[in-house]
Amino acid sequence: MVLYRQTWAILLAIAVTGFISQGFAGTLHGLWLLQVHPARLINDYTAIAGTGATLVNAVLVALIGLVLARLSKVRISGPVIAAVYTMLGFGLFGKTPVNSLPIILGVFVASRLARTNFNTYILIALFGTALAPVVSAVAVEVLPIGPASWTMAVAAGVAVGIVLPPTAMVMLRFHQGFNLYNIGLTSGFIGLFVASLVIAAGGSLPATLIWNTDPDIVLILFIPVLSVIFIVAGMAKNPLKGWKDNWEINTLSGRLPSDFMDMVSIHGSLVNMGLLGLGSWGYCMIVQAPLNGPVIGGILTIIGFGAFGKHLRNCWPVMAGILAATLLFGVELTAPGAILAILFGTTLAPIAGEFGLGLGFVAGFLHLVMVSRSGAWHTGMSLYNNGFAGGLTATLLAAFMEWYQAIRDDSPKEST
Amino acid sequence: MKKRNELALHLIGEVGHYILEANPKRLVISLHLEDDGFHLKILDDIVRSDKEIEEMNLMLHETQRPELAGYYGSMTGFETLGHARLGMVGWQVKHGEVRHRDGGSQIDIWLGGEQFDPPHFTIPADKA
Repeated sequence: MVLYRQTWAILLAIAVTGFISQGFAGTLHGLWLLQVHPARLINDYTAIAGTGATLVNAVLVALIGLVLARLSKVRISGPVIAAVYTMLGFGLFGKTPVNSLPIILGVFVASRLARTNFNTYILIALFGTALAPVVSAVAVEVLPIGPASWTMAVAAGVAVGIVLPPTAMVMLRFHQGFNLYNIGLTSGFIGLFVASLVIAAGGSLPATLIWNTDPDIVLILFIPVLSVIFIVAGMAKNPLKGWKDNWEINTLSGRLPSDFMDMVSIHGSLVNMGLLGLGSWGYCMIVQAPLNGPVIGGILTIIGFGAFGKHLRNCWPVMAGILAATLLFGVELTAPGAILAILFGTTLAPIAGEFGLGLGFVAGFLHLVMVSRSGAWHTGMSLYNNGFAGGLTATLLAAFMEWYQAIRDDSPKEST
Repeated sequence: MKKRNELALHLIGEVGHYILEANPKRLVISLHLEDDGFHLKILDDIVRSDKEIEEMNLMLHETQRPELAGYYGSMTGFETLGHARLGMVGWQVKHGEVRHRDGGSQIDIWLGGEQFDPPHFTIPADKA
């Protein structure tokens, strides 16, 4: 209950900040613009509708997740916190209430078809809004805009939502929990089919890049303020326990599903979330990356998963691998692909947590190579492109490690 | 019925994986099936300390987490890397219990659907 209230308070504060920064009328106008704008990667909403409208849009998307979780009577803990902050982050560049709700409705229909409670699919529904651009694409890109296109868009959203649960469960088995954004792999996979269908039907899905290079002060200060709130909240009752529990969290592998709030403590998790936020923000400041919608979205996702699989110890080897690949292949550190890869690439953190720094580094290195290509495959239909590429990398490494451990265990021992 | 059988197989896989990690010489799995659930009993010859038994009981006594069981629970019994996780079993079952048994340990797991009726299973009345 405390976490639920705390999250509500944070979201309300963000929405108020949004209204103040852009004015009431300007915010509402921008908010409307976003609902009817294409959402495929990369559409930085802060450049399209302004900071205030983008923040309010993100809050509305996150509130859908939080309220649905509450109504579904699931515990507000690590996985729900991860989902809500991921939704908040992607509300800055791709998700809106309008394009997210049909996906959630589709997952609900899937739960009815499976004769199970919606709460067993709630996480798939919330993370599954990664496919929200499918709805927007059908409504405003593929078909002539009108009631028919919106009807088709909702139908498409519901259809992909129905396919999500069975696909997500199978995808988990591929990488065995070593890709934290499993819905990224799932939605990228489904996105391949959607994009192929659209192109086969004669549609055109050109690459998009709307990227705010001049974010305002509200966006620049957003993450450090939020991170400090988490750290203070985590240390409020007992500062020593907050740090001690955070230390314990750093000893865990983070493999799915690792609910740090349940396995260790809420306070340690909040400190972890804050530290990850400050660390990621610090990196962006050092390389002078613009703190725009997608970059803040990446950091918010890291913060959310600070309660569900990520910590400084399992993230840095992966980030180091991505950084090394970026430098080796001559990619600019602040290029959209590179900065998003280093933030979202931490989806592979459990590989470093389970198998050590070396394999974590290799995973990160491979990730940059894969993620540079994978977005074009699904034409940006899945917002979790790094989850898609990360899932492929994790599957490769999990398969290799399974084989390697089997032959190592079976090899004859040397006699002394 | 298919769903029940599939779940039973996954749980047997995960618990079996857990027991085999301790390298037993003997492992017996008994499955008592009902229309709306089952009772899984696992016996081994591993002599565990009281602390180990307590830890196992804690993992099997996890509160029910439908949001985790319905999604991540699908990994149960499929993991070939890393250690087996009894906690994943704990979210999905109605009741689990571990205790010492002559020269080894005994794990009892009860699982039922929405219409779970303890007397139909062999669950002790005071633990239902």
